[in-house]
Amino acid sequence: MKLCVFMSECRSGSDLIDRLEAEKLGIILVCNGVYHAAADYEIRSWLFPKNAHLYVLAEDLESRAIETSRVAPEFRVITYSDIVDLIFNEYEKTIWI
Amino acid sequence: MGRLTIGSFSSPAGTMSLDFAIKLAEAAINKGHAVDLWLSGNATVLGNKDQKHYKDYSHLQKTVKLMFNSGRFRMAICEACAETRGCHKDITMDECIRASMDWHLASCFSADRVIMIGDN
Repeated sequence: MKLCVFMSECRSGSDLIDRLEAEKLGIILVCNGVYHAAADYEIRSWLFPKNAHLYVLAEDLESRAIETSRVAPEFRVITYSDIVDLIFNEYEKTIWI
Repeated sequence: MGRLTIGSFSSPAGTMSLDFAIKLAEAAINKGHAVDLWLSGNATVLGNKDQKHYKDYSHLQKTVKLMFNSGRFRMAICEACAETRGCHKDITMDECIRASMDWHLASCFSADRVIMIGDN
């Protein structure tokens, strides 16, 4: 199953992510979850599984004055329009945490 | 094109996730998809008529009305949740459906994609 996790808060959430098994795992950072994308490497590497595809919502970065230059390279900066494409074309199920 | 069902259970003011739900719905409609939006709990207040727009609050009603005009957007509020909050039929937007959770389940089962958006 291709699973997409919307992470909307700035708390770890790893208690849940660690237990997810998916053929393809995508993690989209939205709302306050976008702070994770600018966190230190140690935190990010512990939080996000190696095989996960990582995305962060541009609008929520901008509204928090986080420059895209500060976003870690493993994150793809996307828009709402991209989220719609990801939901319909790349992933089958979604989770909101 | 497909149909996306979104369920949201958070307040229209003071939380971010309903803003996200509306913006995601708007993006999906702009790409030609159809969207069903189900609102429970405090989110049902978004079904009220004549919401006043204050500068520092997000004003989602305007976007919702634009989406109604697209003809590919349906918004339903939980009737019980609305009634317990004093949101009776006479103050509810005409385009807004008032239904029980069955409406949402039927929408989820017939949609191409489903996303349930929690409260934060």
